[in-house]
Amino acid sequence: MHELALTHEIVAIACNAAQQRRVHAVTLVIGRLSCASPEAIAFCFDVVARGTLAEGARLEIHRTDGDHLMVKTLEIEETA
Amino acid sequence: MCGHCGCGETHEHADGTRHSHPHHHDHGHHHGHDHATTLVELQTRVLAKNDALAARNRAWFAGREILALNLMSSPGAGKTTLLERTIRDLRGARDIGVLEGDQATSLDGDRIRAAGAPVVQVNTGTGCHLEADMVMRGLSELRPPARSVVMIENVGNLVCPAMFDLGERAKVVILSVTEGEDKPRKYPHMFRAASLMLISKLDLLPHVEFDVARVIAAAREVNPAIAVLCLSARTGEGMDQWYDWLRREWTAAGEAAFA
Repeated sequence: MHELALTHEIVAIACNAAQQRRVHAVTLVIGRLSCASPEAIAFCFDVVARGTLAEGARLEIHRTDGDHLMVKTLEIEETA
Repeated sequence: MCGHCGCGETHEHADGTRHSHPHHHDHGHHHGHDHATTLVELQTRVLAKNDALAARNRAWFAGREILALNLMSSPGAGKTTLLERTIRDLRGARDIGVLEGDQATSLDGDRIRAAGAPVVQVNTGTGCHLEADMVMRGLSELRPPARSVVMIENVGNLVCPAMFDLGERAKVVILSVTEGEDKPRKYPHMFRAASLMLISKLDLLPHVEFDVARVIAAAREVNPAIAVLCLSARTGEGMDQWYDWLRREWTAAGEAAFA
Protein backbone atom coordinates (compact mmCIF):
# COMPACT_ATOMS: atom_id res chain seq x y z
CA MET A 1 0.00 0.00 0.00
CA HIS A 2 2.46 2.67 -1.09
CA GLU A 3 -0.62 4.69 -2.06
CA LEU A 4 -1.02 5.64 1.60
CA ALA A 5 2.46 7.24 1.55
CA LEU A 6 1.64 8.89 -1.79
CA THR A 7 -1.66 10.23 -0.45
CA HIS A 8 0.10 11.76 2.58
CA GLU A 9 2.42 13.49 0.12
CA ILE A 10 -0.54 14.69 -2.02
CA VAL A 11 -2.36 16.17 0.99
CA ALA A 12 0.88 17.82 2.18
CA ILE A 13 1.46 19.39 -1.26
CA ALA A 14 -2.14 20.66 -1.35
CA CYS A 15 -2.12 22.09 2.17
CA ASN A 16 1.26 23.77 1.63
CA ALA A 17 0.09 25.46 -1.55
CA ALA A 18 -3.23 26.47 0.02
CA GLN A 19 -1.47 28.77 2.52
CA GLN A 20 -4.01 28.54 5.32
CA ARG A 21 -7.02 28.59 2.99
CA ARG A 22 -9.48 25.73 2.65
CA VAL A 23 -8.98 23.31 -0.22
CA HIS A 24 -12.22 22.54 -2.06
CA ALA A 25 -10.89 20.31 -4.81
CA VAL A 26 -7.70 18.52 -5.76
CA THR A 27 -7.03 17.36 -9.30
CA LEU A 28 -4.44 14.63 -9.84
CA VAL A 29 -2.91 13.25 -13.00
CA ILE A 30 -2.06 9.56 -12.65
CA GLY A 31 -0.51 7.75 -15.60
CA ARG A 32 -1.21 4.11 -16.26
CA LEU A 33 2.54 3.43 -16.06
CA SER A 34 2.99 5.31 -12.79
CA CYS A 35 2.66 2.26 -10.53
CA ALA A 36 0.00 4.03 -8.44
CA SER A 37 -3.59 2.88 -8.19
CA PRO A 38 -6.15 5.71 -8.47
CA GLU A 39 -8.70 3.62 -6.58
CA ALA A 40 -6.34 3.14 -3.65
CA ILE A 41 -5.41 6.84 -3.57
CA ALA A 42 -9.09 7.81 -3.64
CA PHE A 43 -9.70 5.32 -0.83
CA CYS A 44 -6.94 6.85 1.32
CA PHE A 45 -7.65 10.48 0.50
CA ASP A 46 -10.65 11.18 2.74
CA VAL A 47 -8.98 9.61 5.74
CA VAL A 48 -5.62 11.30 5.21
CA ALA A 49 -7.24 14.70 4.57
CA ARG A 50 -9.28 14.56 7.77
CA GLY A 51 -8.27 17.32 10.17
CA THR A 52 -6.34 19.21 7.46
CA LEU A 53 -7.20 22.14 5.19
CA ALA A 54 -8.16 19.56 2.58
CA GLU A 55 -10.79 17.84 4.71
CA GLY A 56 -13.86 17.12 2.60
CA ALA A 57 -12.18 18.26 -0.62
CA ARG A 58 -13.38 16.78 -3.90
CA LEU A 59 -10.80 14.56 -5.58
CA GLU A 60 -10.64 14.40 -9.36
CA ILE A 61 -8.32 12.02 -11.10
CA HIS A 62 -7.26 12.34 -14.72
CA ARG A 63 -5.75 9.23 -16.27
CA THR A 64 -3.00 9.34 -18.87
CA ASP A 65 -1.04 6.69 -20.73
CA GLY A 66 2.29 7.95 -19.42
CA ASP A 67 3.97 7.71 -16.02
CA HIS A 68 2.65 11.01 -14.68
CA LEU A 69 2.01 11.23 -10.98
CA MET A 70 1.29 14.80 -10.02
CA VAL A 71 -0.99 17.26 -8.32
CA LYS A 72 -2.27 19.26 -11.24
CA THR A 73 -4.60 21.89 -9.81
CA LEU A 74 -6.20 22.94 -6.56
CA GLU A 75 -9.46 24.73 -6.05
CA ILE A 76 -9.00 26.82 -2.93
CA GLU A 77 -11.02 29.38 -1.06
CA GLU A 78 -10.60 32.84 -2.49
CA THR A 79 -8.91 35.40 -0.29
CA ALA A 80 -11.33 38.01 0.93
CA MET B 1 -6.09 14.94 -25.60
CA CYS B 2 -4.89 17.97 -23.72
CA GLY B 3 -1.45 19.06 -24.87
CA HIS B 4 -0.50 20.62 -21.55
CA CYS B 5 -0.85 17.78 -19.09
CA GLY B 6 -1.54 14.87 -21.45
CA CYS B 7 -4.88 14.09 -19.88
CA GLY B 8 -7.72 12.93 -22.07
CA GLU B 9 -10.98 14.75 -22.52
CA THR B 10 -12.57 12.11 -20.36
CA HIS B 11 -11.73 11.82 -16.73
CA GLU B 12 -12.46 9.53 -13.91
CA HIS B 13 -13.75 10.58 -10.52
CA ALA B 14 -12.69 9.08 -7.25
CA ASP B 15 -15.91 7.11 -7.11
CA GLY B 16 -15.18 5.57 -10.50
CA THR B 17 -17.62 7.62 -12.56
CA ARG B 18 -16.27 8.96 -15.81
CA HIS B 19 -17.44 11.91 -17.82
CA SER B 20 -16.00 14.38 -20.22
CA HIS B 21 -16.02 18.12 -20.15
CA PRO B 22 -13.68 20.78 -21.44
CA HIS B 23 -11.09 22.08 -19.02
CA HIS B 24 -8.69 24.98 -19.05
CA HIS B 25 -5.25 25.67 -17.71
CA ASP B 26 -5.31 29.37 -16.90
CA HIS B 27 -5.70 30.62 -13.37
CA GLY B 28 -9.41 31.08 -13.72
CA HIS B 29 -11.94 31.95 -11.09
CA HIS B 30 -14.96 29.86 -10.42
CA HIS B 31 -18.09 31.75 -9.56
CA GLY B 32 -21.58 30.67 -8.73
CA HIS B 33 -20.54 28.38 -5.88
CA ASP B 34 -21.65 29.03 -2.34
CA HIS B 35 -18.11 30.17 -1.68
CA ALA B 36 -15.76 31.85 -4.11
CA THR B 37 -12.84 29.64 -5.02
CA THR B 38 -9.66 30.10 -7.01
CA LEU B 39 -8.15 27.51 -9.28
CA VAL B 40 -4.44 27.17 -8.68
CA GLU B 41 -2.25 25.47 -11.24
CA LEU B 42 0.35 23.39 -9.38
CA GLN B 43 1.78 20.70 -11.68
CA THR B 44 3.72 19.35 -8.69
CA ARG B 45 5.08 15.84 -8.96
CA VAL B 46 3.93 13.77 -6.01
CA LEU B 47 7.39 12.27 -5.55
CA ALA B 48 9.20 15.62 -5.90
CA LYS B 49 10.26 15.72 -2.24
CA ASN B 50 11.58 12.15 -2.22
CA ASP B 51 13.43 12.74 -5.49
CA ALA B 52 15.06 15.91 -4.15
CA LEU B 53 16.26 14.02 -1.07
CA ALA B 54 17.46 11.16 -3.29
CA ALA B 55 19.47 13.65 -5.35
CA ARG B 56 21.07 14.85 -2.12
CA ASN B 57 21.98 11.26 -1.19
CA ARG B 58 23.36 10.69 -4.70
CA ALA B 59 25.61 13.75 -4.42
CA TRP B 60 26.71 12.62 -0.95
CA PHE B 61 27.71 9.21 -2.35
CA ALA B 62 29.42 10.70 -5.40
CA GLY B 63 31.54 13.08 -3.32
CA ARG B 64 32.84 10.12 -1.32
CA GLU B 65 33.22 7.81 -4.35
CA ILE B 66 30.85 5.40 -2.64
CA LEU B 67 29.04 2.78 -4.71
CA ALA B 68 25.44 2.61 -3.46
CA LEU B 69 23.17 -0.18 -4.64
CA ASN B 70 19.46 -0.65 -3.99
CA LEU B 71 18.75 -4.39 -3.65
CA MET B 72 15.15 -5.41 -4.17
CA SER B 73 13.23 -8.66 -4.36
CA SER B 74 10.22 -10.43 -2.94
CA PRO B 75 10.64 -11.72 0.63
CA GLY B 76 12.79 -14.84 0.75
CA ALA B 77 14.58 -14.45 -2.61
CA GLY B 78 17.94 -14.52 -0.84
CA LYS B 79 19.04 -10.89 -0.51
CA THR B 80 20.55 -11.35 2.95
CA THR B 81 22.25 -14.66 2.09
CA LEU B 82 23.75 -13.03 -1.02
CA LEU B 83 25.04 -10.14 1.10
CA GLU B 84 26.51 -12.45 3.75
CA ARG B 85 28.54 -14.32 1.16
CA THR B 86 29.53 -11.16 -0.71
CA ILE B 87 30.78 -9.54 2.51
CA ARG B 88 32.86 -12.62 3.40
CA ASP B 89 34.29 -13.10 -0.12
CA LEU B 90 35.20 -9.45 -0.69
CA ARG B 91 36.82 -8.91 2.70
CA GLY B 92 39.98 -6.88 2.07
CA ALA B 93 38.88 -5.78 -1.41
CA ARG B 94 36.34 -3.12 -0.40
CA ASP B 95 34.60 -2.01 2.77
CA ILE B 96 30.94 -2.91 2.57
CA GLY B 97 28.31 -1.30 4.77
CA VAL B 98 24.66 -2.29 4.80
CA LEU B 99 21.41 -0.43 5.34
CA GLU B 100 18.91 -3.11 6.18
CA GLY B 101 15.25 -2.29 5.55
CA ASP B 102 12.56 -4.40 7.16
CA GLN B 103 9.18 -3.67 8.66
CA ALA B 104 10.28 -5.08 12.03
CA THR B 105 13.07 -6.89 13.93
CA SER B 106 16.84 -6.73 13.58
CA LEU B 107 17.18 -10.37 12.48
CA ASP B 108 18.72 -9.56 9.09
CA GLY B 109 20.93 -6.88 10.62
CA ASP B 110 22.26 -9.46 13.09
CA ARG B 111 23.15 -11.83 10.22
CA ILE B 112 25.02 -9.09 8.34
CA ARG B 113 26.90 -8.09 11.49
CA ALA B 114 27.88 -11.72 12.05
CA ALA B 115 29.24 -11.79 8.49
CA GLY B 116 31.52 -8.93 9.48
CA ALA B 117 30.01 -5.76 8.03
CA PRO B 118 28.73 -2.64 9.76
CA VAL B 119 24.98 -2.46 9.45
CA VAL B 120 22.15 -0.10 10.35
CA GLN B 121 18.72 -1.62 10.62
CA VAL B 122 16.02 0.70 9.26
CA ASN B 123 12.62 -0.47 10.44
CA THR B 124 9.85 0.99 8.32
CA GLY B 125 7.03 0.02 10.71
CA THR B 126 3.97 -0.25 8.49
CA GLY B 127 5.90 1.05 5.46
CA CYS B 128 6.37 -1.35 2.58
CA HIS B 129 9.46 0.30 1.09
CA LEU B 130 12.41 2.52 1.93
CA GLU B 131 12.30 6.23 1.10
CA ALA B 132 15.18 8.63 0.51
CA ASP B 133 14.90 10.33 3.92
CA MET B 134 15.14 6.97 5.72
CA VAL B 135 18.36 6.26 3.80
CA MET B 136 19.67 9.70 4.74
CA ARG B 137 19.01 9.01 8.43
CA GLY B 138 20.54 5.53 8.11
CA LEU B 139 23.69 6.97 6.53
CA SER B 140 24.14 9.43 9.39
CA GLU B 141 24.36 6.40 11.66
CA LEU B 142 26.30 4.06 9.36
CA ARG B 143 28.92 6.72 8.42
CA PRO B 144 30.37 4.68 5.54
CA PRO B 145 34.00 5.51 4.68
CA ALA B 146 35.02 6.99 1.33
CA ARG B 147 35.43 4.51 -1.56
CA SER B 148 33.28 1.90 0.17
CA VAL B 149 30.19 0.05 -1.01
CA VAL B 150 26.79 0.72 0.59
CA MET B 151 24.28 -2.04 0.03
CA ILE B 152 20.73 -0.88 0.69
CA GLU B 153 18.60 -3.95 1.28
CA ASN B 154 15.09 -2.77 0.57
CA VAL B 155 11.92 -4.20 2.13
CA GLY B 156 11.01 -7.51 0.50
CA ASN B 157 8.38 -6.43 -2.01
CA LEU B 158 8.29 -6.36 -5.81
CA VAL B 159 5.90 -3.41 -6.06
CA CYS B 160 6.52 -0.11 -4.25
CA PRO B 161 10.32 -0.08 -3.79
CA ALA B 162 10.56 0.42 -7.58
CA MET B 163 8.91 3.84 -7.29
CA PHE B 164 11.17 5.44 -4.71
CA ASP B 165 14.57 6.70 -5.75
CA LEU B 166 16.99 6.43 -2.82
CA GLY B 167 20.00 8.03 -4.52
CA GLU B 168 21.57 4.69 -5.46
CA ARG B 169 23.83 4.23 -8.48
CA ALA B 170 21.86 1.18 -9.60
CA LYS B 171 18.87 -0.90 -8.65
CA VAL B 172 19.46 -4.65 -8.50
CA VAL B 173 16.50 -7.02 -8.55
CA ILE B 174 16.94 -10.54 -7.22
CA LEU B 175 14.64 -13.29 -8.45
CA SER B 176 15.07 -16.83 -7.09
CA VAL B 177 14.44 -19.92 -9.20
CA THR B 178 11.72 -20.97 -6.73
CA GLU B 179 9.61 -18.03 -7.87
CA GLY B 180 7.61 -17.96 -11.09
CA GLU B 181 9.06 -17.26 -14.52
CA ASP B 182 6.28 -14.75 -15.08
CA LYS B 183 7.41 -12.35 -12.32
CA PRO B 184 8.92 -9.76 -14.75
CA ARG B 185 5.62 -9.59 -16.63
CA LYS B 186 3.57 -9.43 -13.41
CA TYR B 187 5.75 -6.75 -11.82
CA PRO B 188 7.00 -4.77 -14.84
CA HIS B 189 7.84 -1.58 -12.88
CA MET B 190 10.41 -3.38 -10.76
CA PHE B 191 12.14 -5.02 -13.71
CA ARG B 192 11.97 -1.83 -15.77
CA ALA B 193 13.65 0.15 -12.99
CA ALA B 194 16.48 -2.34 -12.38
CA SER B 195 19.88 -2.25 -14.10
CA LEU B 196 20.74 -5.81 -13.10
CA MET B 197 18.69 -8.93 -12.44
CA LEU B 198 20.31 -11.64 -10.33
CA ILE B 199 18.72 -15.06 -10.70
CA SER B 200 19.45 -16.62 -7.31
CA LYS B 201 19.35 -20.10 -5.72
CA LEU B 202 20.75 -21.65 -8.90
CA ASP B 203 21.62 -24.79 -6.89
CA LEU B 204 17.87 -25.50 -6.63
CA LEU B 205 17.32 -25.36 -10.39
CA PRO B 206 17.27 -29.17 -10.89
CA HIS B 207 14.39 -29.43 -8.42
CA VAL B 208 12.04 -26.81 -9.77
CA GLU B 209 10.32 -25.96 -13.01
CA PHE B 210 12.03 -22.74 -13.92
CA ASP B 211 13.16 -21.93 -17.45
CA VAL B 212 16.06 -19.47 -17.12
CA ALA B 213 15.92 -18.48 -20.81
CA ARG B 214 12.21 -17.70 -20.55
CA VAL B 215 12.58 -15.53 -17.47
CA ILE B 216 15.42 -13.58 -19.12
CA ALA B 217 13.25 -13.08 -22.21
CA ALA B 218 10.39 -11.86 -20.00
CA ALA B 219 12.68 -9.39 -18.20
CA ARG B 220 14.09 -8.07 -21.50
CA GLU B 221 10.56 -7.66 -22.79
CA VAL B 222 9.92 -4.98 -20.14
CA ASN B 223 13.55 -3.75 -20.00
CA PRO B 224 15.72 -4.53 -23.05
CA ALA B 225 18.80 -3.04 -21.34
CA ILE B 226 18.71 -5.14 -18.15
CA ALA B 227 21.88 -7.13 -17.37
CA VAL B 228 21.38 -10.67 -16.04
CA LEU B 229 23.58 -12.91 -13.90
CA CYS B 230 22.76 -16.35 -12.47
CA LEU B 231 24.25 -17.43 -9.16
CA SER B 232 24.01 -19.46 -6.00
CA ALA B 233 25.21 -17.83 -2.78
CA ARG B 234 25.14 -21.31 -1.21
CA THR B 235 27.47 -23.14 -3.62
CA GLY B 236 29.29 -20.05 -4.90
CA GLU B 237 28.41 -20.77 -8.52
CA GLY B 238 28.25 -17.57 -10.57
CA MET B 239 29.46 -15.37 -7.69
CA ASP B 240 32.63 -14.36 -9.58
CA GLN B 241 30.55 -12.71 -12.32
CA TRP B 242 28.66 -10.76 -9.63
CA TYR B 243 31.97 -9.62 -8.12
CA ASP B 244 33.22 -8.59 -11.59
CA TRP B 245 30.05 -6.53 -12.02
CA LEU B 246 30.59 -4.95 -8.60
CA ARG B 247 34.23 -4.10 -9.43
CA ARG B 248 33.19 -2.42 -12.68
CA GLU B 249 30.52 -0.46 -10.82
CA TRP B 250 32.78 0.72 -8.01
CA THR B 251 35.40 1.81 -10.53
CA ALA B 252 32.69 3.69 -12.42
CA ALA B 253 31.34 5.21 -9.19
CA GLY B 254 34.86 6.52 -8.44
CA GLU B 255 35.20 8.04 -11.90
CA ALA B 256 31.70 9.54 -11.81
CA ALA B 257 32.79 11.76 -8.93
CA PHE B 258 35.07 13.67 -11.30
CA ALA B 259 33.00 13.50 -14.46
